[in-house]
Amino acid sequence: MFHFLQFAATRAALAIVTLIMVSFIVFSLMELVPGDCAERYLAFKNTQGNQISIADIEAERARLGLDKPYVVRWGKWIVEAFQGEFGDSCILRVNIAQLLGEKFWISLVICLTSLLLAYLIAVPVGIISATSKSPIVNNSLRLVSYLGLAMPNFLLALMIMLFSTVVFGDSLTGLFSKEFRDADWSYERVLDFLSRAWLPVFILGWSATAFAIQTVRALMSDEVGKLYVLAAAARGVSGRRLLWRYPARHSLGPIINSLGFDLNRIFNELPIVALILTLTEAGALLIEALARSNDQQLAGAIIFLLTASIVGINFVTDMILAITDPRVRRSILG
Amino acid sequence: MTDTATIEETDVDVDQSRKEAYFTAGQGQLIWSRFKKQRAAMVGAAVLILLVLSGLFAPFLTPYDPTIKGRNPDYQNGAPNIPKFWDENGFSFRPFIYTFERTRSIETNFRWVTKVNRDKRRYVVLFPQGDEYTLFWMKFNTHLFGVDEGKIHLFGTDGTGKDIFSRTFHSINTSLAVGTIGVLIAFVMALIIGGVSGYYGGWTDSILQMVTDAVRTIPAIPLFMAIAAFIPPEISSEGRFFIISLILGFIGWPTLARRVRTHLLTERNQEYVLAAQLCGASSRHIISRHLLPSFTSYIIVDLIISFPYMVLSETALSFIGLGLKEPVNSLGVMLQNVTKADVLLNYQWNFIPVIFFIVLVLAFVFVGDGLRDAADPYSDTKK
Repeated sequence: MFHFLQFAATRAALAIVTLIMVSFIVFSLMELVPGDCAERYLAFKNTQGNQISIADIEAERARLGLDKPYVVRWGKWIVEAFQGEFGDSCILRVNIAQLLGEKFWISLVICLTSLLLAYLIAVPVGIISATSKSPIVNNSLRLVSYLGLAMPNFLLALMIMLFSTVVFGDSLTGLFSKEFRDADWSYERVLDFLSRAWLPVFILGWSATAFAIQTVRALMSDEVGKLYVLAAAARGVSGRRLLWRYPARHSLGPIINSLGFDLNRIFNELPIVALILTLTEAGALLIEALARSNDQQLAGAIIFLLTASIVGINFVTDMILAITDPRVRRSILG
Repeated sequence: MTDTATIEETDVDVDQSRKEAYFTAGQGQLIWSRFKKQRAAMVGAAVLILLVLSGLFAPFLTPYDPTIKGRNPDYQNGAPNIPKFWDENGFSFRPFIYTFERTRSIETNFRWVTKVNRDKRRYVVLFPQGDEYTLFWMKFNTHLFGVDEGKIHLFGTDGTGKDIFSRTFHSINTSLAVGTIGVLIAFVMALIIGGVSGYYGGWTDSILQMVTDAVRTIPAIPLFMAIAAFIPPEISSEGRFFIISLILGFIGWPTLARRVRTHLLTERNQEYVLAAQLCGASSRHIISRHLLPSFTSYIIVDLIISFPYMVLSETALSFIGLGLKEPVNSLGVMLQNVTKADVLLNYQWNFIPVIFFIVLVLAFVFVGDGLRDAADPYSDTKK
């Protein structure tokens, strides 16, 4: 048990180090934007007809703490970020944590659901395609996974939009109907959300499924031919039991390990799919912050949160692997 | 008796010479002979070569200039013109299209309406003189085809009257250029970082790996969207093109660097490296003369596999307005306006370029997969 705690502690420390490095990258990016928060705020005031002097800008800088050295501000930012506090947005002048709160959780739920869906499909299909000898099964699965690779999610989203507009006359976009958009969470709102969220989940899961099928298939076909499987078959284990208990168990480890990177890939596609489907969640907000208003505070916060959830998933999968895989468990527990 | 003996002997000879050819074949020949056997990869390669050539010769193959210069102000949001050989007015050996006339009267509520005049045929001609273009540093103005009067738009026109057919082929060119620059940058970075990390090992390796992993954890496209958002808007379109390619190169390097590192870690403990070290060769010499050639083929395959991702990332960036911009043509730029309900409902031909790009990416994936199998010396024995 002690060893396990030690292992968990090292992994947690590593995760935090990674996050600190990530925060450095993100924070430096935010700093690279020409013009700082004080100038922007006062430029805004200027458009309202107020006269602004250099002294005003300096005073605003001091108020926001922008006159402090770089490292101090970075330290402050990261300490606050770990508490879930990202300060105020430069442009919108509202608290970022409040603005993002619900939207970020919606994005996370959508992405994790599509990841879950991808593996629910990919694990059985991958195992079947690795063990089946039928050329029809193999070729059609190959075609599906190639299509998943060649047709990125946002093109798929565009095509679905085109199709549904032409056929149904409705582009199937948005996350909530009009009457629920700003309402509080209630049973009806959840139902409304579910009736619309399946499409982004499907679209985001599309290429993730293709990738996952390929991974499962490759890992399974490596394991199926090994001697321990033959030995188990010789002992009289057969059929599904043989596959699940021997090669599938072995190939599951690397798959659990790669979950973090699959989530990364889904996050890559999220903003663009969100833009096409006009979803009102964090991905769309990110594009808004970057492309329309140049709101570096908000963009930095979103990128940091996305990365933090990937690091979190990586930590969780490490723990799961340490508990479920006897080889890892043995090496930790000694 | 003697006959069978000679036959057996020649059989052995053929077998021997084949074996000899196999054992003395260079790496390139071996890869090619394995690659040839895969039908999907060969088809992919043929399609790929065709698309690359049509991208390179796009200015000649397409009838009009893809920028605002070559637009057809009388045919905006126009439907594709499909050349015909015959209709109710009779047969013609030369393909023709109809004439479109724009009219505005009280009947049309004073809006411009395009009407088809089926009696007035316009014939397709080969090698007409048209917009001037530069190909291989020389100026030309002959195009492959056109019509004798007015303009022909095989894929229709977009909202400003630019020819979608011309834009599609020019954008293949752009995608290939962006991908090539991006891949080259990723390649150089991966070689340096992965090479140093894998060759020296120890502390250098641990620190570089931590940095690489941290960079890998950040979702690349949101991160690079953030970088692209900071490109000053007043920069020229060529400058923008270069910066975007640079950004795409940065997307690709961590994965490649990891592969380079893993290869180097396994190779550097081999005897031939030790022998070179004992002879007094410098690290640089060992890396460039002994280690890199040992896995050049893998690197090339990795580069080809990462190529479509570069192209697609560029499309994604341009699509949301953070990548390339007019007058540069790329798929992302062309798709910028298609999410409007008006386009979705009435002008679906704006989506035709998508087909070309799916084919391009699929061709790359097939060729990459085929090359990966062909470059793997154990792929025959695995089955």
